[in-house]
Amino acid sequence: MNAIKDLPSQSPTIAIVGSGPSGCYLAQYLRKRWKEAEIVIFDRLPVPYGLVRFGVAPDHLGTKAVARQFDRLFEREGVRFIGETEIGNRVTLQELRDAFDIVVLASGLHGDRALGVPGDTLPGVHGAGRITRLINGHPGEQIDGLRIGERIAIVGNGNVAMDLVRLLLTSPERLLELGVAEDVVRALEPGSVKRIDVVGRSAAHDAKFDLAMLRELTKLPDVSFVAQNLADEGIADADGIAKRDAVAEIAGGSPARAARSVHFHFGWTPERIIGQDKVQSIAFRSTADENSTLLLDVEGVLTAIGFEELTTSPIRRSHHESAESELDKGYLSPGLYCAGWLRRGPRGTIPQNRVDSKMVADAIIEAVDTAQLVPGKPGLPALLAQNPSNSRHTEESA
Amino acid sequence: MSKTVILYGTESGNAELVAEDIGEELNGGSSVVISDMSDFDVAELSPEDFYIIICSTHGDGELPTSARPFHESLSAASPDLSGVKYAIFGLGDSSYETYSKGSEHIDRVLTELGAERVGEYGRHDAADGSLPNDAAVTWSQSLPLFV
Repeated sequence: MNAIKDLPSQSPTIAIVGSGPSGCYLAQYLRKRWKEAEIVIFDRLPVPYGLVRFGVAPDHLGTKAVARQFDRLFEREGVRFIGETEIGNRVTLQELRDAFDIVVLASGLHGDRALGVPGDTLPGVHGAGRITRLINGHPGEQIDGLRIGERIAIVGNGNVAMDLVRLLLTSPERLLELGVAEDVVRALEPGSVKRIDVVGRSAAHDAKFDLAMLRELTKLPDVSFVAQNLADEGIADADGIAKRDAVAEIAGGSPARAARSVHFHFGWTPERIIGQDKVQSIAFRSTADENSTLLLDVEGVLTAIGFEELTTSPIRRSHHESAESELDKGYLSPGLYCAGWLRRGPRGTIPQNRVDSKMVADAIIEAVDTAQLVPGKPGLPALLAQNPSNSRHTEESA
Repeated sequence: MSKTVILYGTESGNAELVAEDIGEELNGGSSVVISDMSDFDVAELSPEDFYIIICSTHGDGELPTSARPFHESLSAASPDLSGVKYAIFGLGDSSYETYSKGSEHIDRVLTELGAERVGEYGRHDAADGSLPNDAAVTWSQSLPLFV
């Protein structure tokens, strides 16, 4: 069995801000150490699981199943979920720190990184995060006149870009079956997309997608895959060669003519988006040859180049950092920690953030076990007493 | 003293929960030890004990991170595992071509080194979004634990 050290230290009261995978994994690890501790997970939304619910594509049911694992926290492990409570808004972080021995910020990063080129705010340019949240029924997203069109460019070649390619080439019937809302399905017009250009800065062997995600695309019916700029030189590692070869294989194995086509372009940096009152085309410049340009006529541009902290977010990590902070183990200041993407930046899959949460949990456990942090704060009752309006909260377990 | 050792190789934590559930199911019988494969010393593999291996699949049909040191140690040391008996349950997702391949790497190396697989090769497919726990517990009930 996992040995539980039976140390005499009192259980701390713990508040976790954000119920995405990092926050939930952290609660799992802390619960293993302290069977009786009060652990409360706060979320600004009424329902838990953050990225698992709103970021993972709806057809990746196997990945989403990790939520069933987290259900156990609330059903069996005595962890409490308090939704509709944005920290820094309804409840201040100071109020939370006054009430709990340990506060962990795990609110993630969900702002779509902008392209930062002229025209990137034109109608028809959409962030991948926004599209993914819409598809997953995020309560904060509206369709707002969204229309994808028949010809689109996706900028970025990571797993999020692969998700978008797959979802946009999935039939409306299948999306409805997966629980995507009817109005969203209509706005996305899946099935009517004729051509998708996937354009990334890196070469194929350096592309950020996982092989399994790329291979999954071959299951889509009636799609011709075309790949350009597959460099042969300078590929040092086996993973890179495997990626480059997989792209070539998919392109070579697909029908030359099909109703839909996906064109991969490697080694291009976006330069500007052109259009009067909406997107008409997007221009790229080659990373290898500055005289070489690529111009694509498109109806829409989807950006999938990563996530960043929103400047409007009520919790920004930098506001809580000081000289004493040790970010590499999630320590911000006494009793205040951070985990997941908010700690490490927008990198890493759900399992990688599980490892991250383990590390932060270990740092918290060490602080308590070595009496650097002495528990004694009363937890949730103190928070509710400070601010009676907080008692109107929802609890949910699935 | 003979015991049942449940070894899990996990990436997202699902295999660990399966190991814990099977451990609970078997509790009361012979003594049960649960260990992450990355914390287990392969030199301890013994014909005295019975092993239940729960292993997921990662990426493009690869081993999950926590199973890699176990696989590497076995491949490097090539111990004689004659007489060692184990049962195996693989987790995977048939949305990918490499469904359930992770556990097969472990199964192969154990067999090559002379260990004997007993019982049915258990598998769970997460493509429908279900957790593997119920299927795995049912599977564990069918195992010949005292072979």
